[in-house]
Amino acid sequence: MIKLKIKLAIFNLLSKLAFTALFLIFLPYIIERINLRQVDNDLIQKREQVISLIADVGIEPFIESDSADVFGSYNILKEEFVSLEWTDTEEDYNHIEVTERIIEGEVITYRVLNYSFLVDGQKYLLEVGKSLVSIHYARQNITRVILIFLLLIILITLLTDLQYTHLILRPLDRITGKLKGISSPSLFDRRPVKTSTKDFYRLDNALRELMDNIDSLFQKEKEITVNISHELLTPVSVLRSKLENLLLREDTDPEVSEKIEESLKTLHRLQTLVNSLLLIARIESHQYLREDDFSLNKVLKEIAAELSPIAEDKEIKIKEGYDQDLQFTKANRPLIFSMLYNVINNAVKNTPGGGEIIIRSFFQKERFNITISDNGRGMTHQQLENLFLRFKSRAGINEDGTGIGLAISKSIADFHDISVSVTSEPGKGTTFFFIFPEIS
Amino acid sequence: MNVLIVEDERSLAREIAAFLKSENFLCDIAFTGMDASEKIAINLYDFVLLDLGLPDYNGLDLIDEAKKNGSEASFIIITARGAVEDKVKGLNLGADDYLAKPFALIELLSRINAVARRKFRVTVQEITLGDFEMQTESRKLYCKGDEVELTKKEYDLLWYLVLNKNKVLTRHQLYEHIWGNILDDQYDSNFIDVHIKNLRKKLNAHAPTPWLETVRGVGYRVSVE
Repeated sequence: MIKLKIKLAIFNLLSKLAFTALFLIFLPYIIERINLRQVDNDLIQKREQVISLIADVGIEPFIESDSADVFGSYNILKEEFVSLEWTDTEEDYNHIEVTERIIEGEVITYRVLNYSFLVDGQKYLLEVGKSLVSIHYARQNITRVILIFLLLIILITLLTDLQYTHLILRPLDRITGKLKGISSPSLFDRRPVKTSTKDFYRLDNALRELMDNIDSLFQKEKEITVNISHELLTPVSVLRSKLENLLLREDTDPEVSEKIEESLKTLHRLQTLVNSLLLIARIESHQYLREDDFSLNKVLKEIAAELSPIAEDKEIKIKEGYDQDLQFTKANRPLIFSMLYNVINNAVKNTPGGGEIIIRSFFQKERFNITISDNGRGMTHQQLENLFLRFKSRAGINEDGTGIGLAISKSIADFHDISVSVTSEPGKGTTFFFIFPEIS
Repeated sequence: MNVLIVEDERSLAREIAAFLKSENFLCDIAFTGMDASEKIAINLYDFVLLDLGLPDYNGLDLIDEAKKNGSEASFIIITARGAVEDKVKGLNLGADDYLAKPFALIELLSRINAVARRKFRVTVQEITLGDFEMQTESRKLYCKGDEVELTKKEYDLLWYLVLNKNKVLTRHQLYEHIWGNILDDQYDSNFIDVHIKNLRKKLNAHAPTPWLETVRGVGYRVSVE
């Protein structure tokens, strides 16, 4: 991917180079045309001089009548020449051409003006020539100078172009910058970006409107979740009280009691489900405060102690290796407790008897890490993918829970900017990684 | 003791009333905030169970009102909203406890009893369970003079069963009471079984515990006279 301003600069550069190349192709021709015109004018002027000279002094000083003599005059560098001869042709000459002449054994290209005229009934042919060698050199020099000049211009304009596009594209950079690193539309910076470019202004406005819309939709969805949850909890409450009252009656048959307890269990599952949804909705709409300040290792130790009777009963060892500790600030302790508890509890459940769970905490690359690994059943790739999704049941893994515990852990982690990842291998075990945000 | 149940969900209100009556409370019911406001102004209640989600009244206003009028009733908030700020506000306004719906009736009872003990400064010093003796002040268990070492959870579990003696408590009710602070979906019936098993093992090392009963398919019960 290439940045827009680089693209613009490349386009500018290429188009300039193309125009320059085109110009350079035609340049020799143009210079030649201009030069030739200049030379031609010179030649015509010279002809006029010769003609007026002849008119003044007559033809005799140059050429004797009836002789086959030719008058010729060269300047010493063979730059120019004038020749006069008499001719018999009927034709009139008055044209300019390029011819090669051999003068003193040297081939020189000349621009030659041929002109015929009559003096006392005798026709003469006048040739005025000018060497094109100097013109060639001139053309090359001019071309070189122009080439250097153009390249310089291109370089300078490239730099100014870059600078200018950078300047006018700055609002766009700001707009894309606002989009970077926001995990939720509610975090979008709603202050308008200062710009005099209408397109950017529109883009910024459109984005803001879009974010507002999404935000309000999200908000509505969360409200609906919360409202539905409340509506569901009331009937659950009624049912629960009724069943509990029945269970407390002394005249209830033991078999009936068992059935009532089964119904209560089912009801608890429903209750747990609704409460979990509520919890996630609350976390995601930032209804929990983050003002606790506590040691993460202490939380881990507490959880390990809490779960050790269950682990011991299953003959699972919980090994704790706390290399370093983090005093976590601006956090919600009960939520963090739940986040870690769910994962460790999950590990205890999914590790067969005689297994091992290792809890570690340490710093790596300036960030605090907690890893929880077990040598339990492990998970397939498919199961890993669905791990943090709500209600994607992980059949055979979790008999008691509703399959939402890890989704809760994930939303708590997101709420605290903690990154969670899992690696797992079927039959070998699973490791959860919690990487805490850098301490600023 | 006199209890006013303020709850717009009628069948829930009646169910709570039926339960509390069986526990020898005198119960009154108000289905609306207006009704509750009147009843609190006229009658003397020891407890008001207050649902915050009333259609006609902000439940928290009722507490404020009652306190201003010099009512000495203890308020226990019950709500399905369960929002953190409601809890904080309610407790700040002088509510004595807070229960999120759905709750276990015996949990409600133990909260009422706890508030009552605080309020009337009733302290039960010792409870006898067969050969065992529970010292509630120091939270210790003795058997014929020897201390039985229990973990905090084990003691809590036993204490909750004793508080609700002669009632069958389901595993979930026990779990909810003891681990209720954990925001967890992974309620595990095995949890309670393991702790009861450990508890029994420790107790049986000192003396038999016929009073700690397992009720098949339902839960556990402490049966004492």
